[in-house]
Amino acid sequence: MITIYKDKTDIPQNMEYVELNDVFFNQNTVLSLDERAAKIIEKIDESKLISKYKIQSRFDDVILNIDMISSGCKTVLNVLYYPNKVFCLKECGNNALEVLYGFENGNVYSNYALIPFDMDKVVVQTKTDKQVICDYEELKEWWNNEE
Amino acid sequence: MKSRPMVMDHFSMVHTSFIVDFIFTNNITILTGDSGTGKTAIFSFIKECMAVNPKILCLNYLDYQKNIKNIISTTEGKLIVIDNADILLDDDTRKYISLDDKNQYLIIGKNPKNLFITKENLFELVSEKMGEQTKMTMKGYL
Repeated sequence: MITIYKDKTDIPQNMEYVELNDVFFNQNTVLSLDERAAKIIEKIDESKLISKYKIQSRFDDVILNIDMISSGCKTVLNVLYYPNKVFCLKECGNNALEVLYGFENGNVYSNYALIPFDMDKVVVQTKTDKQVICDYEELKEWWNNEE
Repeated sequence: MKSRPMVMDHFSMVHTSFIVDFIFTNNITILTGDSGTGKTAIFSFIKECMAVNPKILCLNYLDYQKNIKNIISTTEGKLIVIDNADILLDDDTRKYISLDDKNQYLIIGKNPKNLFITKENLFELVSEKMGEQTKMTMKGYL
């Protein structure tokens, strides 16, 4: 399950935090994409990964460079391929959040609640506490509580 | 927040096979919704219009190092289009935008915090196939 941070100062010093998911994807993650990415791009963006660096657009079937996938989809792929870094969650739509919350590993940060309607369980981590939360309302409450 | 658009109440353009046709009913329009619906594509189409339309200013993650509040506070009479707004706009800038009566805003993002908006400001994209063309409009999000 993914680990969520709500305060940047809670992120361990040995973990890099990435805010600009577009830039990180275009410069790093894109080099690692495999079959797993194709499924995620199809699920979130409804586009087809047709070769290592090309997608087929959902709108007009035009072939585009892979840098045209959505920021939400890039965030999800960053988390998948770099489970030891922490990525900003803020640009994920609900469809991207649903995929992300189903991952076995990964780390994300947001200072406000971003929860898919249908969630399973996640780890939430602060400097002093680490716990598993399985419930939407409980997670929302954790996010909204100042510590 | 209900306030009349300061700069334009209608924006339309053609970009290759895409037709963009937006009606603005408020001075601040938040364009939100699922990932992959074409919000950033729309931003790139509108940004192209900056070359010929002096009433448009576009900002996105490429402006991350800049002082966004300083840019918009020295701007007047423009439709300011902001993509990646959730990482670009801090609380102070959001408050400034909510009170700005010199410019109009199209904000692409998911977080309405400190913009003092209501559901009347929230919109999502609607895409409609018209032969080989795709028409993009906005409808109320909630």
